[in-house]
Amino acid sequence: MTRKRIVTTALILTGIIITVFFGLRAFRAFKHMEGHGPFGGKPPAANQTDVSEIRDWMTVPYVAHMYDVPPKAIFKNLEIHEDNKDEKMSLAQLNEKYYPGQDGVVLAQVQALMQAFQTQGPPPPFPSTPVPAPSAPVAP
Amino acid sequence: MSDTISSFLLTQVINYGAPLFGLTLFLGAMGLPLPGSLMVIAVGSFSQQGYFSSVQMAIVGLLGALLGDAISFGMGNYGKGWVQKKFGGSSAWISAQESFQRRAWLAIVLTRFLITALAIPTNLIAGGSGYKFRRFMLYDFLGESVWILLYGGLGYAFGSQWEVVSDFISNFGGLVLGIAVLGVGIWMAKNWQEKLQRETQEELAT
Repeated sequence: MTRKRIVTTALILTGIIITVFFGLRAFRAFKHMEGHGPFGGKPPAANQTDVSEIRDWMTVPYVAHMYDVPPKAIFKNLEIHEDNKDEKMSLAQLNEKYYPGQDGVVLAQVQALMQAFQTQGPPPPFPSTPVPAPSAPVAP
Repeated sequence: MSDTISSFLLTQVINYGAPLFGLTLFLGAMGLPLPGSLMVIAVGSFSQQGYFSSVQMAIVGLLGALLGDAISFGMGNYGKGWVQKKFGGSSAWISAQESFQRRAWLAIVLTRFLITALAIPTNLIAGGSGYKFRRFMLYDFLGESVWILLYGGLGYAFGSQWEVVSDFISNFGGLVLGIAVLGVGIWMAKNWQEKLQRETQEELAT
């Protein structure tokens, strides 16, 4: 077998393997894509409601932006003292810092918190906003 | 490993915005194995959510990619002397070089957004084969613009569900690469078969 023949055969075999492998994966991904985004029939919303879309690479300010919630509220509920470093950390990094050895705690807490915000407004740990007393009518 | 890199870069792009996005595409275009397409799709989605300005991100990303491509073209050009010395006399190299010069524009444009795995080798070959820099940059600009607008646009259209697009695009890129490899293999087999037939006919004639 000449060298050229070996190279040609190797190219054809490699091409078939890559084509079949990625072809099947692309087909599966395309089927999955059909139910989402513009193909899903619903326009993508700027403010999210589905908490399963929160990922551990996201930061608290980004999650806050996505779900239209103040970042301070998330930090407060996580019982994390908000500082500049924590703001730039991902949920995974915050988890490593505050819950070492326990995977996914911060992610689960943030998801539960965003869910709670949507269903009942700010959850209990929040200080309730003081309602201003009605001012007395001014005597003429 | 690639998931870790992607997650790290996504977090940093959220934190530092356009400069980090431009830097990622710049380093990717220079040959570092960074998830450039994933970042473009994700940034399209972040822009849709109002987290970044889509125009600003597109311009900075395009500049980063163009600069990286120009440098990898330069690297190929720098190694031109060595390649010429080593393979310059080979007929296969001369034929490959001529063939590249004829279809270089197509290779440059398509490897920017369709077969992105071959973008760096194309840059190096273009630089090493003496392809004109200005012409390279023109086709590079066209291809990278399609990449940024198409992939970023898909991220924008899918919003927070951009991960499904990214999954499809990465697998589709692999599929196109597989078809390209298969095509080259079939083309070589066909050439080899024709050569064999010619040789047999010549033998019969004599």
